Amino acid sequence: MANDLGFIDPTAGGGRAMVALAPRPMDLAGKVVGLLDNTKEQGTLILETIGKVLQEKYGVAKVILRAKEHYSKPATDSLIDEMSKEVQVAIAAVGG
Amino acid sequence: MTEAVDEFEFFLNKQWSDGFPVVTPTEARLETMLKGTRCDPDEVIGSIPPAMEKATVRTVAIHALMAGCKPEYLPAVLGGINLMLREEFNMNGVQGTMHGVAPLMIVNGPYAKKIGIHGENGCFGPSFRANATIGRAIRLMMLNLGGGIAGIGSATIFSTPLRYTACITENTTQSPWETLAVSKGYLDTDNVITCAMVESPRLCFDDVSQEPDRLLNGIADSMVAMGSWNMHARSDMVVAMGPQHATICSKAGMSRADVHARLCKIAGRKVRDLKNGGNWRRERALGFPIKVNPDDDDFFIPAIKEADDLQLMVAGGWGPCTAVCHGWSGGSKAVHGKYEI
Amino acid sequence: MCSVHDTIEFEKRGIPATVVITQAFKNAAVFQFKGKGMAGHPYIEMPHPISNLKPEEMRELTLRYVDQLVRQITA
Repeated sequence: MANDLGFIDPTAGGGRAMVALAPRPMDLAGKVVGLLDNTKEQGTLILETIGKVLQEKYGVAKVILRAKEHYSKPATDSLIDEMSKEVQVAIAAVGG
Repeated sequence: MTEAVDEFEFFLNKQWSDGFPVVTPTEARLETMLKGTRCDPDEVIGSIPPAMEKATVRTVAIHALMAGCKPEYLPAVLGGINLMLREEFNMNGVQGTMHGVAPLMIVNGPYAKKIGIHGENGCFGPSFRANATIGRAIRLMMLNLGGGIAGIGSATIFSTPLRYTACITENTTQSPWETLAVSKGYLDTDNVITCAMVESPRLCFDDVSQEPDRLLNGIADSMVAMGSWNMHARSDMVVAMGPQHATICSKAGMSRADVHARLCKIAGRKVRDLKNGGNWRRERALGFPIKVNPDDDDFFIPAIKEADDLQLMVAGGWGPCTAVCHGWSGGSKAVHGKYEI
Repeated sequence: MCSVHDTIEFEKRGIPATVVITQAFKNAAVFQFKGKGMAGHPYIEMPHPISNLKPEEMRELTLRYVDQLVRQITA
């Protein structure tokens, strides 16, 4: 916090760990897609609609729809771990 | 040679400013502030969501100092932020939500009294340094370290005046009952903080009722608005009875627990009524932690779904008024615990 | 904003992920991605509110975003 201001500037920011984007596949053909539903209104319908198009138009092999316990709380590590073993890409809805 | 910086403008121009000047945090003042705690300044308290900046005893002390705290307030600030970062309190959800709730700190025990946290006349308002600055220190951390800034990290529609500060104690001088903390099993000599995510208080003025039945009907009515999340989710609620109202109940032989139980029982609305407006949604009702029949128009939906969601306390000055703070939808559960002095 | 958190958790495990949000949460989502070390992470932004759309309207709206969504999770 040393500076030449004569006082402390506690403004946060910087020094945070960065997370790299996971490598993207070229296409979704034959892939298993995980859909994480936060149970907020419309979430299920949005994800089901997406899942259907991904299978019909993009050749996705399988979609797995999982719901988390509460929309305003993060999914449990075990749910994410479990899904991560089964799927190659993931979509979450609805944020907000 | 750099030009002299106006320290007031420097901090008022920060994105995380609460709009008021801060006490300029100098190393000398920080050293004095840190004398308020026995904790190691490098001790990590936790990360404040959503920005997840780390709060250490030192950074908490800096925010307390900026907020205008005395060193002896620091244990309450540390105790408060410690509790608020518990998972079940869901700080992350509150920081981002569209709704406008704030973590209200209810500080019980001898230390609250010693440092002058106020629970009597005007306890939700200005004029009391401990209330004003302890809550403000928490808010400055939520803004700066957590990034819960309206329009940035927070999608809040209105926010709430409780986001300037939200720290009170009980009126133990005039309360006829044991404190909220004692009702939870703590000792009178314990220093305890209870935090609940709530909206600003709504006042229930009643200078007519002279007996509990009528009085509690009126208070219960203030707990059941159609637009309140308490009617549409499991949600906390704080009811701060004025000592005069509490005394009406106690004189009629009601204990604190009796009043608590009565409010849980009578504060609610029938499905028929709830369907006519507000946030009613059949699926929401089915998500309650209690069994309901949303298709039965005569089914009674209580504002308090689980008894410990109601924080019943006695505060404010003598007069015929009770304050009711409604809760939030997003799965925050009130937290309480002892803090170190 | 916990769906943003979940999205990042997938990314951390090497699973490409994206999230559907509504406009009211856009700034909060962007901020949260930044705060959690993934500044600039893509997302799908739908208008707000959507909670009162009829199922058919909701499906129709969703269909407009699928191609964009696929671009976000493929190379």
